[in-house]
Amino acid sequence: MSTLTKVLIVLLTIASIFLCGVVVTYVASADNYKQMYDQRRSSEMTAKQQRDRTIEEWNAAQKAMAEEKTKLNADMAALQAQISTLKGQVADALRERDDARRRKENYESLLAANAKTGELHAQLQKEAQDAQVKLEAEKTRLEDELDGVTGALNEKLAIVMQLEAKVKGLTEEKTAIQNKLDQFLRQYGKVTAQAAPVTVMREAARVAPPATDIDLKGSLSAVDLKNLLAEISIGAADGVKKGMRFHATRDSKFICDVVVLDVEPDKALGWLELLQDQPQDKPKAGDAVSTNL
Amino acid sequence: MSPAMQSRGKKVTAPDNLYTVILSLALAAVLATAGYVAYQCLTQYETLFKIQ
Repeated sequence: MSTLTKVLIVLLTIASIFLCGVVVTYVASADNYKQMYDQRRSSEMTAKQQRDRTIEEWNAAQKAMAEEKTKLNADMAALQAQISTLKGQVADALRERDDARRRKENYESLLAANAKTGELHAQLQKEAQDAQVKLEAEKTRLEDELDGVTGALNEKLAIVMQLEAKVKGLTEEKTAIQNKLDQFLRQYGKVTAQAAPVTVMREAARVAPPATDIDLKGSLSAVDLKNLLAEISIGAADGVKKGMRFHATRDSKFICDVVVLDVEPDKALGWLELLQDQPQDKPKAGDAVSTNL
Repeated sequence: MSPAMQSRGKKVTAPDNLYTVILSLALAAVLATAGYVAYQCLTQYETLFKIQ
């Protein structure tokens, strides 16, 4: 063999051994990719199974959640309805509360008014009691005064009865004397005037005797409407007498009647009767009066 | 064939065995390496030439 061959053989051997060492080192230190792949694959399978399981659980949870959501929606709707009902009840309660407050304020104002009225009543009652006490004192005083006056009246009545009895006795005595006098005068052809009765009749109002065929005429000289009195222009000299009734006229219109109360020689005073309602028909000075219409 | 070997004829000398041993060592190393690689391939990938 040539030297070159020997060198090449040695180099080849060295290179081979080196390369083999490198290859062995590489192969020994290389990763077992199949094992890694198998591990990864098993991990992947496990993960896939777990994912599938998780997906199934998630679907189941979704379904349960949907059902729960539906149930909760139904519950929410029911609760909303209940809330609406409760809100209505709250509004009603608030209205009732406001009505109760208004009634309470009204009652309080009524109570205050009643209290004031009670105070006023108490005050009025006290004043009435004071007035009653005063009136009772006045009543006592008046009763005492009445007793005194009644006693005096009874005394006066007794005196009047005594005087009436005395007058009656005197009148009868007068009648007896008058009879004796008549008997005495009859002897000489004379008579006395007619005797008055024992009991005198007092007339409260005397009716004027009818004045016919006299035809007295005059006029009203003065009129007192307040006291219903009038003065006529003719008197006793013209034939006017007490009790005569004159008719007052104005322009042929009846005004009133005048009943003579008092007579003087040239004038007479009379009482107005049958006055008209109209003011223009009231009697006044200057109206004509006559006994015959 | 080198002319030296032809000139010697069939006589085998010690330097020829040395290089043979060296070559055999190299061959053995290569074969061992190939065997080791094949073994590793089989154990790891369960295949030798194909990709599964």
